[in-house]
Amino acid sequence: MTRFLLRRLGLAIPTLLGVSFVIFVTIRIVPGDPVASLLGPTGSPEARAELTTKLGLDKPIPVQYVTWLSRVGQGDLGRSIAKQTDALPYVWEAFRNTITLSLFAAVVAIVGGIALGVIAATRRGKVASAISSGVSLFAVSAPQYSVGLILIVYLAAGQGWFPTGGMRNTTGADAGTTLDLIRHLWLPGISAALVPLGIIARMVRSSMLDALAADFVEALRARGLPEWKIRWHAFHNTLPSVLTIAGLQVGYLLGGVIFVEVVFSWPGLGLVVFQSISQRDLPVIQAGVLVSALAFVVINLIVDTLHGLLDPRIRR
Amino acid sequence: MTATQLRDDDTVAPADSTPADGGPSPNGTAAAAPAIKRRRLGWPARIAGGVCAAFLLAALLAPLIAPYDPLTDDRSNRLQPFFSGGHLLGTDGQGRDVLSRVIWGARPSILTGLIPVFVAGIIGTLLGLVAGLGSHRVNTVIMRTLDVFYAFPAVLLAIAIAAALGSGTSNAIIALSVILVPPIARLAESEVARIRSAAFMEAARVSGAGWWSIALRHVLPNAAPAIVVYCTALIGLSIVYAAGLGFLGLGVAPPTAEWGLMVNDLRQFTFSAPGISLVPAVVILIASVAFNVFGDGLRDLLDVKGDGR
Repeated sequence: MTRFLLRRLGLAIPTLLGVSFVIFVTIRIVPGDPVASLLGPTGSPEARAELTTKLGLDKPIPVQYVTWLSRVGQGDLGRSIAKQTDALPYVWEAFRNTITLSLFAAVVAIVGGIALGVIAATRRGKVASAISSGVSLFAVSAPQYSVGLILIVYLAAGQGWFPTGGMRNTTGADAGTTLDLIRHLWLPGISAALVPLGIIARMVRSSMLDALAADFVEALRARGLPEWKIRWHAFHNTLPSVLTIAGLQVGYLLGGVIFVEVVFSWPGLGLVVFQSISQRDLPVIQAGVLVSALAFVVINLIVDTLHGLLDPRIRR
Repeated sequence: MTATQLRDDDTVAPADSTPADGGPSPNGTAAAAPAIKRRRLGWPARIAGGVCAAFLLAALLAPLIAPYDPLTDDRSNRLQPFFSGGHLLGTDGQGRDVLSRVIWGARPSILTGLIPVFVAGIIGTLLGLVAGLGSHRVNTVIMRTLDVFYAFPAVLLAIAIAAALGSGTSNAIIALSVILVPPIARLAESEVARIRSAAFMEAARVSGAGWWSIALRHVLPNAAPAIVVYCTALIGLSIVYAAGLGFLGLGVAPPTAEWGLMVNDLRQFTFSAPGISLVPAVVILIASVAFNVFGDGLRDLLDVKGDGR
C-alpha cells in the first residue's frame, strides 16, 4: 500500500507541473503590453527597458516560467489589483467557504445519486424507475444558475422558507450558529449538487444492473437469500466504480459552484472570481483557478487512495 | 443530422456486427462501424429533437418572428407582467420585450455553444487521428498533454482563459473550444485504436497506402459516426457553459440580448417580478435538456460511450 501511495504521489507531480504551466500560459495570453499598461502613456524608453528587465520579460519563456513557478512555490501569486493585497491569502480565505459549500453539496449529490440510481436499477420497467431515470437526466442537464434562481424564486423569495443568499445571518436569534449556516446551505447546496447527483445516479444504475446480472447473484438467489440481501451484495460490488465517478464529480463541483455562489451571494471563491472579472483583476482569477485545480488534484489523490483501500486489485 | 437520416443508416448497417468479428468489406466501412442496433430514436429524443429544431429556427428567423425590437427600451413600460399589452413574456427592467430578447438572444447563445463544439470536434479528431495512428511516443506526448486539462474543473479553465483574453463572443468561443478538445480527442483516439486492429487496416497497409490515405480514407470514415454523435451530445453542455460565461460578464457586451447576460440582468427582480426574472434561466434549462436528451438518444442509437463528463 505504501508503494502504491508513493507511486500515485509521484504521478501527481507532472500533473501539477502541467497545471501550473497552463495557468502560466493564461497569464501570457493576456492581450496588450504589460509594461506599457504599468507605466502609462508617459513612460520613457529607458523606464520601459528598466521595467522590462525588472519583470523578467526580456528572458526566454522557459526561464520566465521557472521564475514564476518558484514564486508560486513560495505562495506568491502576485497582488490583487483591486484589493491591493496578496492574491493567495485573499483567495484562500474565500476558498474555505467554498469548501464548506462543496462538501455539503457533495453529501447531497452522493446520497441522492446513490438512492436514485438504486431505485432506477431495482425497479426496472416500473414507474419509479422511469421517474428516477428522468430525474437524473434532468439533473445532469440543469445549469446551476437556472436551478439556483428557480429555487430562490419559489422557496426563498416566494415562501420565505429559506434565506435568499449569504452564508450567515448577522442579526436574529440564531445568527452565526451552525443551524443558521445549514439553513443557508440548503438551496445553494442543492443547486450545486444537481449535476453530479444526476451523473452519480446514472453510474450507480448501470453498475448496479451489471452487478445484478452477475453469476454470484444467481448463486445467492439459489441459496435462498432474501431479495434485499442480494441487492445489498450487488450494491457492494458497485462501490469502487461509484467511488471513482463520485470523486471526479465532487471535483467538478468546484467549477459549477462558481455560478451558485454568484446567484446566492455565497462569500466563496466563485464570488471573488466573479467580482474580479469585472475589475479585470487577473492575479486573483489565476490564484482562484490554481487553488481549485490544486484541490481537484488532491481530491483525485484521495479518491485513488480510497479506491486502493477498497479494491486490492488496483494496488499492483 | 436528422432522425430520418439515422434510420436510413440503420437499414444499411449490419444489425449486430462488432469490429472484431465483422468481415472486412472492400473499403471497410461497414465492418468497423460501431454496432448499430436496429432501433429507432425513442419518443423523448424525437420530441427533444423538435425542440432543438425550434430553437435553431428561432435563432435563424429572429428578425421575422420577434414581435419587437430587442434593444428598444420603454421606461414607462418597465416590468410588465406576462401577456400584457402584446408582451407575451412581459418586459424587463428597461421596458424591453422579453420574448423578443429571448428570440434574438438565441443567436449569440446558440452560436457560442455550437461553434466551440464544431472547432473542438475538428481539432480533437485530428489530435485523435495523429495520436492513434502515430508512434507510441507521439501518442504518449499528445494524450499525456491532454490529461493535464483533466486536472482542472473545465468551467474554471474556460473562465480563466476567457478572463485573460477579455470579454467578447470570440474569446468565449476560444475558451470553450479549448476545454472541449480533450474529451473529444480522447474519444477519437480510442475509436482510432479500435479501428487500427481491424483486418482491413492490415490490408491497406500491405497494399502500400500512405499515412494520409489510411487516416482519411480508412480510419476517419469509420471513426466519424461515433465522434459526431459524441459531439452532438456535447452541444447542450456547451450552450450551458456559453451562457455561463455570458452570465459572468465574459460574453457579449450589454445591451445585446444573450441568454446568460439576461439571466444576470433579470435576477435583481426575483422579488418584484419573479416570473420574468426566471424566463432566461428557464429557456437555457429547456435548451440544455432538449439538446442533451436528443444527443443521448443518438448516443444510445449508435451505442457510443463518452467519458462521463
